[in-house]
Amino acid sequence: MAQESVDLSCDYQFWMQKLSVWDQASTLGTQQDTCVHLARFQEFLRKMYEALKEMDSNTIFERFPTIDQLLAKACWNPFILAYDESQKILIWCLCCLINKEPQNSRQSKLNSWVQGVLSHILSALRFDKEVALFTQGLGYAPIDYYPGLLKNMVLSLASELRENHLNGFNTQRRMTPERLASLSRVCVPLITLPDVDPLVEALLVCHGHEPQEILQPEFFEAVNEAILLKKISLPMSAVVCLWLRHLPSLEKAMLHLFEKLISSERNCLRRIECFIKDSSLPQAACHPAIFRVVDEMFRCALLETDGAPEIIATIQVFMQCFLEALEKENKQLRFALKTYFPYTSPSLAMVLLQDPQDVPRGCWLQTLKHISELLREAVEDQTHGSRGGPLESWFLFIHFGGWAEMVAEQLLRSAAEPPAALLWLLAFYYSPHDGRQQRAQTMMAYVVAPCRRGNLQPCGQRHSPAPPRWPKTGHHM
Amino acid sequence: MESLLQHLDRFSELLAVSRTAHVRTWDPVTVRRALQWARYLRHIHRRFGRHGPIRTALERRLHNQWRQEGVFGRGPVPGLASFQALGHCDVLLSLRLLENQALGDAARHHLVQQLFPGPGVPDADEETLQESLARLARCGSAVHMLRFNGYRKNLNLQEDSLMKTQADLLLERLQEVGKAEAEGPARFLSSLWERLPQNNFLKVIAVALLQPPLSPRPQEESEPSIHKTPGEGSQALVHWLLGNSEVFAAFCRALPAGLLTLVTSRHPALSPVYLGLLTDWGQRLHYDLQKGIWVGTESQDVPWEELHNRFQSLCQAPPPLKDKVLTALETCKAQDGDFEVPGLSIWTDLLLALRSGAFRKRQVLGLSPGLSSV
Repeated sequence: MAQESVDLSCDYQFWMQKLSVWDQASTLGTQQDTCVHLARFQEFLRKMYEALKEMDSNTIFERFPTIDQLLAKACWNPFILAYDESQKILIWCLCCLINKEPQNSRQSKLNSWVQGVLSHILSALRFDKEVALFTQGLGYAPIDYYPGLLKNMVLSLASELRENHLNGFNTQRRMTPERLASLSRVCVPLITLPDVDPLVEALLVCHGHEPQEILQPEFFEAVNEAILLKKISLPMSAVVCLWLRHLPSLEKAMLHLFEKLISSERNCLRRIECFIKDSSLPQAACHPAIFRVVDEMFRCALLETDGAPEIIATIQVFMQCFLEALEKENKQLRFALKTYFPYTSPSLAMVLLQDPQDVPRGCWLQTLKHISELLREAVEDQTHGSRGGPLESWFLFIHFGGWAEMVAEQLLRSAAEPPAALLWLLAFYYSPHDGRQQRAQTMMAYVVAPCRRGNLQPCGQRHSPAPPRWPKTGHHM
Repeated sequence: MESLLQHLDRFSELLAVSRTAHVRTWDPVTVRRALQWARYLRHIHRRFGRHGPIRTALERRLHNQWRQEGVFGRGPVPGLASFQALGHCDVLLSLRLLENQALGDAARHHLVQQLFPGPGVPDADEETLQESLARLARCGSAVHMLRFNGYRKNLNLQEDSLMKTQADLLLERLQEVGKAEAEGPARFLSSLWERLPQNNFLKVIAVALLQPPLSPRPQEESEPSIHKTPGEGSQALVHWLLGNSEVFAAFCRALPAGLLTLVTSRHPALSPVYLGLLTDWGQRLHYDLQKGIWVGTESQDVPWEELHNRFQSLCQAPPPLKDKVLTALETCKAQDGDFEVPGLSIWTDLLLALRSGAFRKRQVLGLSPGLSSV
């Protein structure tokens, strides 16, 4: 308890200084700094409230003699008032300062002062004098018209942004970069206020015409955070724009997904599918740039975990969700398959991307042989400079669990002599590193005991065979 | 029902008193009761706001109150100002009390406790008063930040968000006042004209006259700025403008040409009066032979450029108005003697200027000189 109290005092000094510098957050620098610290300041306020509510007014002033200044400064900063629950917590802290039974005029005056500050927080706003006079003259109070006013301002700004986006050549009506940057900063504390959604969406979707990014990174981070925590709901197009414009946000979204997968105890495939669909990443990945980043991160995860089966399962479920999403995607926006797998031969990509369930049973053998051929070609391509070699091809192949499954099933069901091509595929799936000789031996082993390996599922189920083991040879892709 | 209406009466009184020094006499019990009444009425509004008979009864009661207080001529309503206000009457009361420094220590302490009980179990059904107040603070900050960091005044006033909001409020109020009393709007507008900054008021009127008519929605109780039959409000405005020549003259003088053209296109009843004014202004100018331009005799006379501007704008309006304007100009020209030579009749000169302006415009646009209708 004593340590907490010391921490609080240190924090107090820190924030007191910050607030003095920020003042009313009217310059670019102070606004940026305020935005970056909003969440932490709110935490500090919470801790203060927890401490203050246990004390009476006199004790509070003994402990924190300048508390009134600290709270007042915070109240004059519109960014702080606008953020999340900060205004509420500030109010609670102020209420703690009130003397229940004022003994002297000083205490009475303090009570009056607190009342005044509370009133200021709520009736804010140093607005246009004319507008204020007009509305008062009509008999309206801010509560009557502020929601409507906010809505009008948001919609007006959003349509200005859209116009700016579309009318590139009309330089008179362009929004200046400074104004755009300013708007994005101002939105940071407001991200979770639903009334502001149209503006956030417009900021994300309308790029303007400058070659470099104008919007503040704090803005992208705040939006991304809100999306991941489900505190805002934006259309998919806006989310895609966010992830295309700000790579760290996309990476954070992937990491968030990984965290969920790791922290959840037992991950059946259905739950993995739920998490993945929930993350909106499959739909976003219909845009090749996003797909490449996601794929890269999966590759890294595979490397870091030495080929953990969970990661492979996740990749396979992701691919299914992705292909489903691609199917639903607007036909006009379809990108060539090559753009999703730029380092693969187009013929291989095309054949792998088919839905195995679409292949009629009679053609299974043929298709699998074809896949085997193409893969083998890619694997045995020894020319220097070819990317990756066997592991690259293997990484591609494990994206599609359906094919390995089909191989296993075909081998099981067919009474005839198993074709070498299929055995090769299976051996490759489980041991990508093997040299030629080793693989040949493995293939022989398969002929002898096909049932010992793998978890052969009945037809129609989308579960992959038991995951292949990554040999610890330290190869890098 | 009668007890509900009495409740309404008493609460309205309470609300009016909450702003005065009289609250010095309030003790915690009074404060608590006041907030309870507010909560009760808010609840009534939420439950029965759409319900025909109850809503009508409440509205009628409010209108009676206003009539009795003779508010239309005097100033803003001291108590409850509209039916929609019931939806957040607890917030209204809370804010008024918080602003009132005359409140005694005990009452103040109790008020603050009631308004801000602290973190606790949120009410599942309705938003708590604490939440409403926090949201208002947040909303206010949002408006403030957008106003000073992103907002730019739209040169087309009718699209400007501040103007639009004020216009919506004016129309809504006019409608409510009109329901309360037939002659209400006219008196109300006159009192506003005397009390409010006039320049801003005129702009708001113009924007209000240009708001798009919404399709009538049955009994919808959403934000205050949505009104059911905007036509009524606009009609009241037009009626009042036509009945007050001094106001209308100021209206036409203060507002930009383009805006006035839009307004007169939308409300044809205004065009004869507008044209009449323009004619009057034109007749006050005389030709200065030395300088070779038309000038006024007094400083407040409308200068040639402005006159020309307005006519030019009117000639760019769609047909019914444009034709009326040209006919009026031709008539005036004829009355003056139908001269073709410049410098003798201002109407001749105006027509010449308008025609050549149109001609030059067609040249610039690469159109054939052809038969322009000017």
